[in-house]
Amino acid sequence: MSVAPPSLKRVMCVEDDEDIRTVLEFSLGTLGGYEVMCCASGPQALAAAPAFAPDLILLDVMMPLMSGPEVLAALRQTDRLRNVPTVFMTAKAMPEEVESLLVHGATGIIVKPFDPVTLPRDILIYWEHGRGRP
Amino acid sequence: MSSSASGEQSLDILVVDDIADSRRSLADLVEGLGHRATLAADGDAALRAVQRQLPDVVLLDLLMPGLDGFEVTRRVRTLTADRWLPVIVISSLQGDEHFCRALRHGADDFLARPVNVELLDAKLRHYGSMLALQRRLAVASQRQRDIYDNLRDAVVTLDAAGHVRDLNLSACRAFGDGTPVGLIGAGCKAMLGEALDVLMQRKELNLRRGDGSTMPAELAVSEWFEDGHARYTFVVRDLTERRQVDRMKDEFLATVSHELRTPLTSIVGAIGLLASGAAGDMPEPARKLATVASRNAQRLGRLIDDLLDLTKIESDRLLLNLQPHRVGMLLAEAIAASQGHADRAQVRLEALVDSADALRQVRVDGDRFAQIMANLLSNAIKHAPPQSAVTVGLQVTSRRVRVTVRDRGPGLAAEFRSRMFEKFSQADGSDRRVPGGTGLGLYVTRLLVERMGGRISADSVVGPGAQFTVDWPDAALADSVHVLHLLHIDRDADALRRVAQWIGSAMPVLSLASLDEATAAGAADLEYVVLGDPVGQGSAEAFCAGMRRLAAYGSAVLYSDAVDVDFAQRMGMPWLRKSTASRADIERSIRQAAMQAHKAISP
Repeated sequence: MSVAPPSLKRVMCVEDDEDIRTVLEFSLGTLGGYEVMCCASGPQALAAAPAFAPDLILLDVMMPLMSGPEVLAALRQTDRLRNVPTVFMTAKAMPEEVESLLVHGATGIIVKPFDPVTLPRDILIYWEHGRGRP
Repeated sequence: MSSSASGEQSLDILVVDDIADSRRSLADLVEGLGHRATLAADGDAALRAVQRQLPDVVLLDLLMPGLDGFEVTRRVRTLTADRWLPVIVISSLQGDEHFCRALRHGADDFLARPVNVELLDAKLRHYGSMLALQRRLAVASQRQRDIYDNLRDAVVTLDAAGHVRDLNLSACRAFGDGTPVGLIGAGCKAMLGEALDVLMQRKELNLRRGDGSTMPAELAVSEWFEDGHARYTFVVRDLTERRQVDRMKDEFLATVSHELRTPLTSIVGAIGLLASGAAGDMPEPARKLATVASRNAQRLGRLIDDLLDLTKIESDRLLLNLQPHRVGMLLAEAIAASQGHADRAQVRLEALVDSADALRQVRVDGDRFAQIMANLLSNAIKHAPPQSAVTVGLQVTSRRVRVTVRDRGPGLAAEFRSRMFEKFSQADGSDRRVPGGTGLGLYVTRLLVERMGGRISADSVVGPGAQFTVDWPDAALADSVHVLHLLHIDRDADALRRVAQWIGSAMPVLSLASLDEATAAGAADLEYVVLGDPVGQGSAEAFCAGMRRLAAYGSAVLYSDAVDVDFAQRMGMPWLRKSTASRADIERSIRQAAMQAHKAISP
């Protein structure tokens, strides 16, 4: 019996802006064909993630309750989520900030506004790059 | 001393005489002239009176038992070292010798007995007006001192050895404990934490406060001479508050950026999805409209990016992480990053890069280099006809690394070329085929290139298309100590001579009357900081462009009375007013221009 190569199936998006969540669902779900779960906050995402078991997480940086880096730190404390590739989405994108986000252990940075048409392909590259890492 | 209603001055006069009758008659004379007399019967009493309350004038009998007039004069001088107390000696002795002796002992004047009342009156009036003048000077001087001390900026005057000669109260507070004690005569390195040459070179730096903390400071220096000795007066402005405001501004910009981009993300996303047909097929007219909306939403996004960049660059708060990078690697990354854009426009991206050249290093901020290339490539792709190629080229010489980006589009209109690197410039009207620019891209690109020591230019090339050229100093060269020359172009022979005299000891100076002479002299073969005056050189703009062409990495300085700060800003050059710029100003400007070119001038 041959084992199918792993593929990117489930994507979790954590984003406090409702309209951006709509665009993400459309881009990644309808257009990209991924199974998408969108969460409006860090705590919500941390609660839902173990059951959803995402292959990749897209994480907004500036959110109320918990910032993106705080959510990432919490994910890294959870056994089953520790190695899930996580990509930050940021609307600030000052070079200094990108640098500090990567230091937090993110797989990559997506700068807002992003292109929803190419996003399904773009995250695939991050996923392939990120899943090889501990 | 007081003034009567008639304007006559009434003086306090100490009358010193050991003989009671003479003392009294002298006092009567004095009082008769409208002054007040205090009496002392001997030298000791006189000195006590002077110490108790300083009179305006002393009338002093020379011949007294005990302390005589000569000795009293000498002691009065010692007691009143910081204020002038006129002493008039009085004697009935024949001959002038004793008066001469008294004057040698420090007396100011003399009167012979019997005292002529008119002469006494004239002398007292004279000393009254001298004292009044002296007081006015003291008041004026004190007022200057008060203004000086109440400046919020610290003012410190150093001598050529870097020792403190003078400082105001703000400086005493900032760099000491509030008094000049221990600061006058101190070395500036000990007091401020920096040596004189560093203070001379830097406009902004961190200084050490008296309490050991660090103060970001802006320095303005003026050089002057005192008895032939150079003095350097520094006005030191504490930038702590300004830095705080800058930080708040940065935070505000970051917030604005975030707040603008968040709704834009939804707009760009939703319309992009609509236009792509991802939300279902649309009738052609609707799709067309969605495409227009999508393109302009993206344009708005770029405009926000450019504006934020611009705010940072123009206020000089852009942090650059300058590191040596292999130019081949940078170009490969840049081409990869623009591939998607090129694919959509059906434009081919080609690289004409020699593999050995690709190993050469440039000293740049990698992210900002990527941004420059993205701007140039996006610009080229925008103008390139479908199926044509955009070519990235690399040519290196011993001194510079040249990157070119060429398209096969319609090329550059001559009138646009002159202003294409300015703010909000766009090729307009004739070229409606390629909307979507913000008018800031090339301006931001130029500022970024120049901030990293490079030079950018644009040309229409043979055949169709436009070519953008960016010259970078070679990283190895940029790090090494290199003899830089000063090229001074000026119709004013006096100015040429003056500058050559001032600067000649620091660096080789080539003084020429015009740009043409400079070109003829083979000036382009050397590394120059260029100093120039556009007077008598035709179009000032063209002259500036010529100066920049000859200058190493664009390090040119305007030295002219005929231009103003607006012009200099427009030309992107520092400016020195010829009639007022001192030698130190010129040295500093040239040093800064040289440093901007990552060069060190040999001292």
